[in-house]
Amino acid sequence: MNPSLTDIPTLSRRGLLQFSLGASAFLVTVGLGASLSGCSPSQPASGLTALRNSDLAFLRAVIPVTLNGAVAAEKIPAATAATLQNLDISLAHLSPAMLKLTRQLFDVLTLGITRGPLTGVWGSWENANADDIQKFLERWENSALDLLRQGHSSLLQMVMMAWYSRAEAWAHCGYPGPPKI
Amino acid sequence: MPVLDPFREGLARGWTTYNGAQLTQDLPLEADVAIIGSGAGGGTTAEILSAAGYKVVLIEEGPLKTSHDFKLLEDQAYTSLYQEGLGRMSKDGAITILQGRAVGGTTLINWTSCFRTPNQTLDHWATEHNVKGHSPAEMAPWFEQMERRLGVAPWLVPPNANNDVIRKGCEQLGYSWHVIPRNVRGCWNLGYCGMGCPTNAKQSMLVTTIPATLDKGGALLYLARAERLMIKNDAVVSLECLAMDERCVAPTGRHVTVKARHYVLAGGGINSPALLLRSEAPDPHERLGKRTFLHLVNMSAGQFDEVINPFYGAPQSIYSDHFQWQDGATGKMSYKLEVPPLHPALAAALLGGFGSENAEHMAQLPHTHAMLALMRDGFHPDSSGGNVQLRSDGTPVLDYAVSPYAWDGLRRAFHSMAEIQFAGGARAVMPMHSDAGYVKTLAQARTLIDGLDLALYRTRLGSAHVMGGCAMGEDPKSAVTDSLGRHHQLSNLSIHDGSLFPTSIGANPQLSVYGLTAQLATALAERLKKS
Repeated sequence: MNPSLTDIPTLSRRGLLQFSLGASAFLVTVGLGASLSGCSPSQPASGLTALRNSDLAFLRAVIPVTLNGAVAAEKIPAATAATLQNLDISLAHLSPAMLKLTRQLFDVLTLGITRGPLTGVWGSWENANADDIQKFLERWENSALDLLRQGHSSLLQMVMMAWYSRAEAWAHCGYPGPPKI
Repeated sequence: MPVLDPFREGLARGWTTYNGAQLTQDLPLEADVAIIGSGAGGGTTAEILSAAGYKVVLIEEGPLKTSHDFKLLEDQAYTSLYQEGLGRMSKDGAITILQGRAVGGTTLINWTSCFRTPNQTLDHWATEHNVKGHSPAEMAPWFEQMERRLGVAPWLVPPNANNDVIRKGCEQLGYSWHVIPRNVRGCWNLGYCGMGCPTNAKQSMLVTTIPATLDKGGALLYLARAERLMIKNDAVVSLECLAMDERCVAPTGRHVTVKARHYVLAGGGINSPALLLRSEAPDPHERLGKRTFLHLVNMSAGQFDEVINPFYGAPQSIYSDHFQWQDGATGKMSYKLEVPPLHPALAAALLGGFGSENAEHMAQLPHTHAMLALMRDGFHPDSSGGNVQLRSDGTPVLDYAVSPYAWDGLRRAFHSMAEIQFAGGARAVMPMHSDAGYVKTLAQARTLIDGLDLALYRTRLGSAHVMGGCAMGEDPKSAVTDSLGRHHQLSNLSIHDGSLFPTSIGANPQLSVYGLTAQLATALAERLKKS
């Protein structure tokens, strides 16, 4: 028989699986606890339909990093605000089930008890620098946990789509816009 | 000259329509036939039954949007015209599922590609799935009828540069390629089929069968979710619908109760089996929602020196079936090659990454082409599709596992696409996978693809065709309906949509749905006369 990874206890399929399940259970428990204790109010932030205040600090930190290179530095604040606006509209049109999952993702990213261990960002998002955020995104992309890899891909997709839906984004990608009918 | 909006004109002439969002009280409706879903299957069935003299009511969960509303903007289209506001995904979040949700269903937002069901697929259903009466010869007249009805013809305008890559690459390699037939009349070649046709050139249900139904006195109820069939003594006695708000997100609290002699379920894959599951319809052999197929899709990007402008021009006009039947119907996972249009938001998500990496890719968008491979799932024992499940709120989600058999097909498809892209003139190619960047030679691409960790989330997977979940077939042990779409256990319920397919189609399925449901609706009209 060929030796295989399963011969190494720490890398055994079973070990990884248990780790994943344990971590998922942990996340669910934390999410549930947070919801029950009112740590993550589901009230939208003022002027918005779906995004909550707790989501905004995180997104305001992450969006500039994702748009870096596509938007001139002096335009980043305006582009971030525009991205948030579009993101809010698209979240407001998700099915309740998908909005709930998205909010759980934001909860995991913003609640102190999960943020530090899972993102490596131990302070508040407002104080995280671009390097911390870059590292967090890379860590999630390459995580052994499905949940984090899924979170990474959902987060990037929703942010990038929100920005590139905006006419201000089109000059960078050489899109002249839709034809006039 | 402004484009006419025939749907608005019809409304002005006094068509009977009900907007669920605006109901101020509960609404009872009666008809000879209640048709749930206004896409390819529901629209076709409605036109045929109303022409035969039956009073039909068409019930659509999504909003009514007409050419006047289509502004060719991705965000507006995605939030208003797609299931779950473009949020529909497989249960594990690894596969994005694009499905329409508006009056006209997916026909409103599809890319207009029309293929008859391949003979190999029809033969496979007959031999493996106990399907009767759908041989290629028996189906041909129905495809002809619907091709005439919807103006289906090969696209005679030169393909846009994005599609032309398939032609050039395949010519160079000696692979077969063909022109795609499209359901359009007077198409302006704009490229926005996925956001609703602003010129009414696309012969979707919105501008064809639904107006014909309403002209015959049929009724249309929209922004109403078919929540539950009330079942008594092996028959449906009524349909309970929840009126939805204008966003189609939350029920308003108003109810619509529809009573009819006969009920036709045409909500498409995922939604049709879900309604039966919610209704606790008889399912003695646990077939409901099983064997749901996706034509799982992977993609490859190519950069060219010349301008491609992948956002303009008819989105799909050239395809290659070179790899589709090489190994027979039941061999290794096989695929059809086509291209997707690339508008900025979709492109940004597909090209992946963030920051400077994504910015560099996006800066090249006018010089970027993309190719896609549709996996023909459901023909092999290792490709048994997914299962539709209900979430705690009663809405459906598809649990779809990607088998090693499917991953093998996806890897070979990455190879085929890169080969054709380089042969078609690409200066660089990138498989759409988070570990891949652009590489400059086919040899580099082959090494890259062979080494890719083909795992969920790293591989960008999509689907635009949901099929199966209410399979047809003569044996109730393996099928939900018989070959005429008659529910095996419920006497006055038929299913007329893509959920009937016992496997995936192996081609964009709209014409398969039109042809099949035209045949089934014509037979139903005859049966209703006798009963």
